[in-house]
Amino acid sequence: MTRSRAIIVIALVAVALALAWSARPRAETQTERVDRITSELRCVVCQGLSVKDSPSESARQMKEIVVQRVAEGRTDDQIRDEFRANYGDWVVLAPSLASWSGVVWLLPILAVLAGLAFAWRWTRERSVPLPEAPPAQLAALRERVAREESLDLPVDAS
Amino acid sequence: MAPASGMSRALRLGIVIAIGALVVVLVLAFRRDPHDIRTGTVGKPAAAFTVQKLDGSGALALDEARGKVTVVNFFASWCIPCKEENPALVRTYERYRSSDVVFLGVLYQDSRDSGLQYVRDNGVTWPTGSDDDGRVAFAYGVFGIPETYFIGADGVIAGRHIGPIDETTLVNAIDTLRAQAKK
Repeated sequence: MTRSRAIIVIALVAVALALAWSARPRAETQTERVDRITSELRCVVCQGLSVKDSPSESARQMKEIVVQRVAEGRTDDQIRDEFRANYGDWVVLAPSLASWSGVVWLLPILAVLAGLAFAWRWTRERSVPLPEAPPAQLAALRERVAREESLDLPVDAS
Repeated sequence: MAPASGMSRALRLGIVIAIGALVVVLVLAFRRDPHDIRTGTVGKPAAAFTVQKLDGSGALALDEARGKVTVVNFFASWCIPCKEENPALVRTYERYRSSDVVFLGVLYQDSRDSGLQYVRDNGVTWPTGSDDDGRVAFAYGVFGIPETYFIGADGVIAGRHIGPIDETTLVNAIDTLRAQAKK
């Protein structure tokens, strides 16, 4: 193994180790858990902002409620369900697959399938063979080509 | 040539269907009355709450209105639409004052001093309390103020109105709930 190859292998191993280290399973702190849950909840007085990202007073109060529920030992589902019970499914930023709003998850899949179908039909059309010329026409063309080649006409350079 | 025309037909059909679906979605979305956005609390028992009265005379609890038609109004002194709807609330309160209908005001995201000044300046004579930590608003699913909740004699939230409310809406809702309570 040459020296450069060894360096590449060592670099790849280092990257793999770093990725494995960052992805290692570890216990989530309460602060991280609050951040994760509040990032999944919609700020009810904002336009498309999560509770975590919103600077509004409503979001601040909602975050306090999440902090309290986490401290009380509630599960993620219990906390989300409480928000859902008060504000409806709308309050959860990522809609549940089990609800009507979960249909939005299907849209990208449908769009990809439609694109694939379109591409498949388009390529199929382009690969349709051209109808073959009748034998008599082919023979006439070959004869003409042969005649013109035998004449050795000068190449038109214009 | 036949496949090409077939392709364009399919494409045209797809575009028409997509536009049609978009129109249906938009019509359904805009048909909804923004004053009546559905949330989880309507149709469910009203969450019990106790808040401190703005005038400092003690606690104000929903339990005190148990068995009565109750109107819970969320407001704040900084809320312009709250001032707009206030005359309708005052007139309706006076209309039902001697009846068994209870009005409760809940101050939302505001200081008690400002809230107290507001109720004094605007003729709010029904009991009012301060939701200091926003827990009452959260329990009721308040989006923004003003919001008015109608609680039946059975303790269930029968309806709510987002935004400034008028006298007709208030009277209709109260009379409906009173009629239901008498049955």
